[in-house]
Amino acid sequence: MKHPEREVELNEYADGSITPEARRELERHLAECPACARDLERLRDLLRGASLLPRGIAPPRDRAGAIAAEIARRRVMRRRTAGVGLAAAAGVALFLTFGRNRAGAGWTVERVAGAPRIGSATLETGGRVAVGQWLETDDTSSALLDVGAIGQVDVRPGTRLQLVAARPDDHRLSLIRGTISAHVDAPPRIFSVETPAGTAVDLGCAYTLTVDSLGRGLIRVTGGYVEFDWLGRRSVVPMGAFALTRPRAGPGTPFVDDAPQPLRRALLAFDFGDGGAAAARAVLASARREDAITLWHLLPRVDGTLRRAVYERLARFDPPPAGVTEPGVLALDSAMSERWWKEIRRAEWRRVVLRGVQKK
Amino acid sequence: MAFRAARAGVTDSVERARAGDEGAFAELYREHAGRVYALCLRLTGDPGAAEERMQDVFIRAWERLRTFRGESAFSSWLHRLAVNVVLAERRASLRRELRVLPAGEPERLERAGDAPREGAGVDLEGAIAALPAGARAVFVLHDVEGYAHEEIGNLLGIAAGTSKAQLFRARRLLRERLER
Repeated sequence: MKHPEREVELNEYADGSITPEARRELERHLAECPACARDLERLRDLLRGASLLPRGIAPPRDRAGAIAAEIARRRVMRRRTAGVGLAAAAGVALFLTFGRNRAGAGWTVERVAGAPRIGSATLETGGRVAVGQWLETDDTSSALLDVGAIGQVDVRPGTRLQLVAARPDDHRLSLIRGTISAHVDAPPRIFSVETPAGTAVDLGCAYTLTVDSLGRGLIRVTGGYVEFDWLGRRSVVPMGAFALTRPRAGPGTPFVDDAPQPLRRALLAFDFGDGGAAAARAVLASARREDAITLWHLLPRVDGTLRRAVYERLARFDPPPAGVTEPGVLALDSAMSERWWKEIRRAEWRRVVLRGVQKK
Repeated sequence: MAFRAARAGVTDSVERARAGDEGAFAELYREHAGRVYALCLRLTGDPGAAEERMQDVFIRAWERLRTFRGESAFSSWLHRLAVNVVLAERRASLRRELRVLPAGEPERLERAGDAPREGAGVDLEGAIAALPAGARAVFVLHDVEGYAHEEIGNLLGIAAGTSKAQLFRARRLLRERLER
């Protein structure tokens, strides 16, 4: 900030709370001082960004059951205190209504090799994992887990996971470490896997997800799409693409499997290091037409002039469809962004499939 | 009709939940959980704490539903309750920490939020979460939730002028982080 003494006025000007006299004086200054004019523009960009933040963010876990249980517990405690000891039934009814829980729910699991364990019990041939239970494989064991009736998860050696929910509308695992390969045939958002770096939400797909002992992850999608979410930071990873994930940072920007090394290195610095704008420019410099999904994800992750540069590069590779305008995209209009994404992923899908056909 | 108009904030689900219908309260949870979680998350800057506060908010809402008179929308009532729950917990946590901190170290509490979060990059949510607690609360309430400085002053127990100063500081810190 070249003129820090103007900070209050610039903020009040951007908020519309400046006095008329101060406004006139500031406007005169702005006409002569490009640095302050730029500061004002950046401030407005920030306010625009704040106003465009999503109103709602899905909680990482459904707390309905826990809330209902606590309400029921308090109710029981109050009634006991009041000398009325017949509240348990009401509490249980509330728990069942609210949490739609789970007693007896579970998924079947089959031993593939070695000695997988459910809790402390070793799996001889097959068994059942209940909600809340852990399934663990050591270095020499593996297992096949049924995702209710909608798919299967191949649990590789050295994996520890927990069954979190087994309801028709919510099939959910928590992967603490190790590798799973999931194949699911169901409507989107029915199956999800929580990890230390966010949640992988199935959009009808097949993928392999690895989490190391520090909670860092890698997802590789081999069919359909996976959405990876952490605190509103969202990466949609299509077939043929990867994304790295990190605790406290969430999913990185997805990249295709043949993305150039300089692009991958720049993404790593941008997503998880201190690369900032310089790293984003490096991504831009090495991006090819095939890296359109990476550029699309960069749009909301950079600001101002950089976002315009990303737009221009992406538009050159995959021109936006009719009705998707530059101002709309730069303002992160979600409808326009989604329409463009559909075009980009169609093109990417064709490219991946064509490459598969050519290989054969 | 006048009665209905005066109770415009009371929807069917709210009315049934007030009468003790747990299913109706579950509907309210499903409808509002995302919005309440987002608010808790932005105010706390911590996903784990945000989940706990969201849970507290709905438990408190259930217990206080009878006091909701419908003068405002249920969502507004719930969001104000959420702000109060988060801020009350923050005050309690500050008191707990002050009891165990050696004298002369209170600035440690403010610095706690300043630590750069690995990988936050140029993401606005990440930058907000990395703000010091006071500046973050004012920024979220003013620039994201649309509260006026006077309301923020009442909620946080500070003067409106202090709220304004905190807001401008928060914006400066955010811009510095985002433009890095």
